[in-house]
Amino acid sequence: MSNDEQRPSPGGNRVRRASREVNALGYLSEGFLQGISLIFSMNEEVWSAVSATLRLSGLSMAVTLLIGVPLGFLLGYCSFPGRGVLRVVVDALLSIPTVVVGLLVYAFISNRGPLGSWQLLFTIPGMAVGQTILALPIVLSLTASAVENTDHRLRSTLLTLGARRWGLLFSTLREARHQILLAALTAYGRVTAEVGVSMMLGGNIKWHTRTITTAITLETGKGEFSAGIALGILLLAFSLLLNGALSFLRRRDAA
Amino acid sequence: MTPPLYEVRDLVCSYQGKKVLGIERLDIAADGPTAFVGHNGSGKSTLFRALAFLLKPESGSLTFLGRPTEGHEELLRRDVTMLLQDPYLLRRSVFENVAYGLRARGERRGIEDRVAEVLEMVGLSADFAGREWYQLSGGESRRVTLASRLVLRTKALLLDEPTANVDEENGFLIAEAVKNAWLRWGVVPLVASHDLPWLDEVTDRRVHMKRGRIVEAEVETDFLL
Repeated sequence: MSNDEQRPSPGGNRVRRASREVNALGYLSEGFLQGISLIFSMNEEVWSAVSATLRLSGLSMAVTLLIGVPLGFLLGYCSFPGRGVLRVVVDALLSIPTVVVGLLVYAFISNRGPLGSWQLLFTIPGMAVGQTILALPIVLSLTASAVENTDHRLRSTLLTLGARRWGLLFSTLREARHQILLAALTAYGRVTAEVGVSMMLGGNIKWHTRTITTAITLETGKGEFSAGIALGILLLAFSLLLNGALSFLRRRDAA
Repeated sequence: MTPPLYEVRDLVCSYQGKKVLGIERLDIAADGPTAFVGHNGSGKSTLFRALAFLLKPESGSLTFLGRPTEGHEELLRRDVTMLLQDPYLLRRSVFENVAYGLRARGERRGIEDRVAEVLEMVGLSADFAGREWYQLSGGESRRVTLASRLVLRTKALLLDEPTANVDEENGFLIAEAVKNAWLRWGVVPLVASHDLPWLDEVTDRRVHMKRGRIVEAEVETDFLL
């Protein structure tokens, strides 16, 4: 074989590269179409992951809001010794890595841990514990900021209208309601998008603890691109809905 | 004989360690509106905040309709209301803004009628009640905040610069509403303003203030005649 025959010609390389790009595009569009079809054909695996995600985020957000809104309100409304330090600690926890939370909660709820007897590991409530720890600093910090940033005339206005202690408290909470809702939506965005806690505490068990994000990780690893895309589209839809609600509230609040 | 609305004795108020108000003696009559005039920084707003029980004086005494006020501020705030210099509308509808004080007082019946009545007094039609706070112009906002005080029918109504940033027409409507509140319900208006022609519409009774002190209390008996 001559050298010329062994060496690929520059023209041939371009053709092969172009052909690979066309194949890749076909692979992407095929995966996308299959993904859409999985959603609309009500694929059980896909909808099981959606259901687990909704149950998990619903539970963790309920607990987060129940604890976070009153405590965040008090943190922003009241003056007490150590408030500044507490505020710094809460703000620092905003950037806590999900795997660290997963690790800590795992140590507590695994069979050998202090809460092992509660059998929370690889269950939705166990995962919710981790997600609550992730979401709580967001709700605490943003609720406290919402209350701190209420108009400086609010207190005087309420007093001149005859509000007493509880009236002042609830009316301040009501004035900050849009910002508090923003805090809740931001926290919801964080819990639906995280992988670390769900993977470590849920174990990604099919039909039980497999959420959208853990399923995407698994399907992509297996090369099941279409299932990953289907789940990705649903996650994006959630995200778009949330962001739409957020921007609506921001516009309304700025009016 | 009716006691004065307020009796002020040796009242001192300070802000960040600096004395901003020092009034040895001032009686404010309960038989009609009184205007407080003076330059910026003369202490009108501070005095009003003390009279509305929003500010605790450093020293001195204050009586309201013959009763000592110290320790009873929360209760007395139900008899006195104040429209701040830069009034704030609650982030809710006009109706809820105006009805807020009535509900805070535990009133439940007849709220709709009373809200409609005061909206009319400030020159706003009843359909304004359904509007949201962000749908109002500056003059409308000012009149809604005034309506939310008028509806309470308190014994005293303190108005701090009620016509600041308000056009002539809105200023006229505010003056009419304030006079009507006195004539219909006996609500005593105390008004701090730079707008002397506007004050002439409301009362001839003047208290002049300068650098936190009363420099002259001029009383005429022919107000509102």
